[in-house]
Parts: sequence; structure tokens; C-alpha cells
Amino acid sequence: MIKMETPKHITIFHGPQHPGITGNMSVELDLIGETIQKATTHVGYLHRGFEKLIERRTVIQAFTIVCRICVPEPDPNEANFAMAVEELAGIKITERAKYIRVMVLELSRLSAQFLWMAGQSGSIGLYAVGQWAIADRDLILDLFEELTGGRVYHMYVYPGGVRRDLPNGFLDKVTDLLIYLKERMNLYNDIFINNASFKNRAIGVGIIDKEEAVANGYVGQVLRGCGIKADVRKDAPYLIYDELNFEIPTQKAGDVYARALVRRDEILQSINILEQVVSKMPKGDIMIKMPTHRKFKLPKDDTWVKVESARGEFAYYMAGDGTEKIRRMQVKGPSLIHGFTLLEDLLIGAELSDVALIMNSLGICPPEIER
Amino acid sequence: MYSKIKNQFATPEIEIKRNDLSKVIVKRDRLFELINLLRLNYSYVTLNAITCADWIEDDHFALSYILTTEDRKHTMMVQALIGRDSAFDTISHIFKQAEIMERDLHEMYGIKFIGNQNLKELSLENWIHTPPLRREFDTLKFVNENLTFRDGRDDNVDTKVETKRLRALKKAKKLAEEKAKDDKNGNS
Repeated sequence: MIKMETPKHITIFHGPQHPGITGNMSVELDLIGETIQKATTHVGYLHRGFEKLIERRTVIQAFTIVCRICVPEPDPNEANFAMAVEELAGIKITERAKYIRVMVLELSRLSAQFLWMAGQSGSIGLYAVGQWAIADRDLILDLFEELTGGRVYHMYVYPGGVRRDLPNGFLDKVTDLLIYLKERMNLYNDIFINNASFKNRAIGVGIIDKEEAVANGYVGQVLRGCGIKADVRKDAPYLIYDELNFEIPTQKAGDVYARALVRRDEILQSINILEQVVSKMPKGDIMIKMPTHRKFKLPKDDTWVKVESARGEFAYYMAGDGTEKIRRMQVKGPSLIHGFTLLEDLLIGAELSDVALIMNSLGICPPEIER
Repeated sequence: MYSKIKNQFATPEIEIKRNDLSKVIVKRDRLFELINLLRLNYSYVTLNAITCADWIEDDHFALSYILTTEDRKHTMMVQALIGRDSAFDTISHIFKQAEIMERDLHEMYGIKFIGNQNLKELSLENWIHTPPLRREFDTLKFVNENLTFRDGRDDNVDTKVETKRLRALKKAKKLAEEKAKDDKNGNS
């Protein structure tokens, strides 16, 4: 659309039907030539009213909804939901359940990182990387299918523990996959991270200021790409993360390339964590005895729980009211602030061709903005 | 810190929930004063979220501001109870990210944040009904009154009716078989 009063300006919609958008959302761009003057984020294409629906449901009924809040990475939602319910009800889970949860969360992080790699490389036309990454992600989904019965939505991390024990030989399969993925990462370095076409496009683009990042509540790779060692697994450890030995990768430049390097290193750290979990996996029960779900009441209290997802801190506010229903569950993922406060600022002055590149580097997931 | 907050704000409501989480309930007119104290004196520099729960039976919303320290090791939940139909001041002049959080709460609860210039619609398009996360909004009633249901395909069957019919058929078949067996035995 050309604005007739200022004929230089053109307004276009980037999304929702666009291969370079990170989901069902759109960004309205005001351009002069190819340079962005103003960006406005629009969501609302995927509002499903989950937070309202959960008010009408018992814990076991709400459990089937929460994994659908974020499509690429459902497990942090399940973990948050379980942790919030357990904290309100005063439930302690077994050691084996904690280890299995960490294994599921790290596998989920790996699968989300590979999906990101496909999106990020696709945003600049490196489609071969995307096809490799999606194929490798499928190997992780195969493991999820064997463990939980589902490839994308697992409904596995339930309050009180996890739903099923590990199948025979499962840990060996995880070990084999980790060896394979470690080797593959060298190839990804060659074809993607160290590829001149990616470096030329990503270095110096979408630079985020460190002080602003802290003050505005940005999370995940956005903070770590600015040199801040922010990670919920280290800052406020949950499950068994304080017993594991791993590093928080950081970079200083604060641009798209720095965030990509952080993600690459995080994949290696996740593999490292999974190796430790597999070698230390204790024996024992996976689920404690829970009250009958129809009589399972949450006390009148509220809490705030958080885990580190592949895109940064992912938190839930949950309030019980003494009945079987959950009074309020509010989701706070990285996308609301990254998709509005950050993206609308960051795109000003950027080139039209860099929009998809910048968006992908921020880890924005629209289903989680609208819930 | 806790004793200073208790003395200065005359609030007994400080709850230590976990090592990394505490909750303070404060009167609504002193909420921002407490947030500023935490921000300037105790390094709670990041606003992570603004959450809301509707306690319709007590006629108030519980509005919680989630603040995290600069080293991200401790979270403070500062809560104020506000009337369900009252307006509230914005905090977006201190925390930029509050603008979008308040816009979300305005849409879902109808809370008017005075001073926030950007309270336009977020994910609900042309919504004219009660803000949906208020407790008086009944989803089932809304669906029954506003949406139409498709009948489905012409050959679609009601599973309850179909199950009954199949059971009756099975029963009749079994009776017929028994009768035939009896007749055969009687004839022989």
C-alpha cells in the first residue's frame, strides 16, 4: 500500500502467509525504499483461549492442553505445569522421575534447536541446512514416540512424576543418537555456522544493547548473545540441574550471528547434559501415589515457577482456590516481550530482507503469545 | 530487607515460598512505591510479568508484579488487590515491557491502565463481549449463544443410538440362534 500523503512510504505486511515468518503472526512494515521506518506486530491468528479453558478443568483435564501452548517445544510447558501443581499441593517426586524429566527436557531442547536451525538457515535461502536439520530432528522425535507414544505433543511429564517408565534399551538408543548428533555438529559448523553466506548476512545485524536487554526483561539467547550468563538452570536450579556439570555459552557481539553461535554451543551442552543423565540414571519409582484425579484439590494459594526452554526463561503463574479446578494459570514465555517490545524496536532501520533473519534469531513463537 | 518492607509498608503479608521466590501483598496505593524501593535499593531491576487472577467472590483482582534481581537468582512477587471495575496506573514509564503486558491484561480482564497509550486490541479481533478471562464470562454459554454447530455428513450417525441398535441386533441374533437350536433338539 502506498501512502498518498507521503508518496515515499510503502506499507507491507510480512506474514502471516510468508515462509520467513516464525508462525501465525505478521509484522506491518512502513518502508522507504527497502529500509524499515516503523514495525508493528500483529497477532490473533491462533488464539485458542487455553487459559480460559483451563479454568473449567481439573488437573488431569488441563494437563492435556498445556503441551499445545508452544508447538515447537511442548515439554517446558508440561514441566512448568507439573512443578506448579506439585508446589501448590506439596508433592515431592522421586529421584528417577527428576532424571527422566531432565532427559525429556534436554531432548526437547535439542529438537527445538534443530528446528530453529532449519528456520534460521531457510530465512537466508540455505535450504540444504534446513532439510538436514529437520531430518536429524526426526531422529529425536522417534525417541519421543517410543518413550511417550507421541512425536510432537508428549503429555508425559505429569504432576507426581512421569507417565511411563523407560522402554528396554532406551538409554542405549539415546547414547547412540548423541554420538551421531555430535558428529553431525561438525558438518553443521561447515555448512551453516562457518558458511560465508550466513556470516556475511548475520554479523552486525540485529544488534541488541546489553543494558537495555536486562532492563526490558529479554531472556535466553538474546541475553546470552550480549555476554550475560543468564540461564534458569544455573540461576534458580530446578529438578537435578544443580548436580550436573555444564557451561552457559555466551557471546559478546549481541547480533544475529552471536545468537546463532550461542545456540550452536547450547546444542553441545545439551548433549553433554544428556550424557551425564544417561550415565547417572537411578533406579526406582517413576510416579508417586496421587489422589484420584476427581478428588485432587489445589489449596487456595498461588505460585510462580519457571524453567529454561530452548528460547529462554519460560514461566507459569498458577493459583488454586481449594477446589478441583485451577483458578488461574498464566503463561509467560519469551515471545510476548521479544515479539513486541524488542522486535518492533529492532526492525527500525533494518533492511526488508533481514526481517526473517532477525525474527528467527529472537525465538518468537506466536502460539505462546496468544495461548 | 523484609523487616524494612514490613515496617515501612505496614504489611504483615510477606511469604517466603522458595529459596528463590517470595511474595509480598501491599495496599494498591503503595504498590509502585514498593516496586521502586525494590528496584533502586535491592537490585530487582527486571519486570518479568504482570499476572492477574480474578477472585470474583471477594470482588477483587489479585494483580502481581513479578520482579527479578539483576543476578536473576531471586524473584519477588509483589501483589496488590484491586477492585474489579477500577482503573489502575500504568508502570510502563518505568518498565518498557509493561506496555504489552498491560495491553494483554486490558484485553483479557478489562483493566484500564491509566497512562498506557497503547491499550488497543491484541489477539481478539472486534471483541464486543465481556473480557473473556473475567469469571462472569461463561465459555459454554457464549458458545451456545453465538456459534452454530454443523450437523456433519448425511451418513453421520449418533454413536449412542448406533450402539443401542447394534446391541439389540446382536441380542436378537443370539435369541434366534438359541431358538433354532431348541427347535432342532425338539424335532430330533
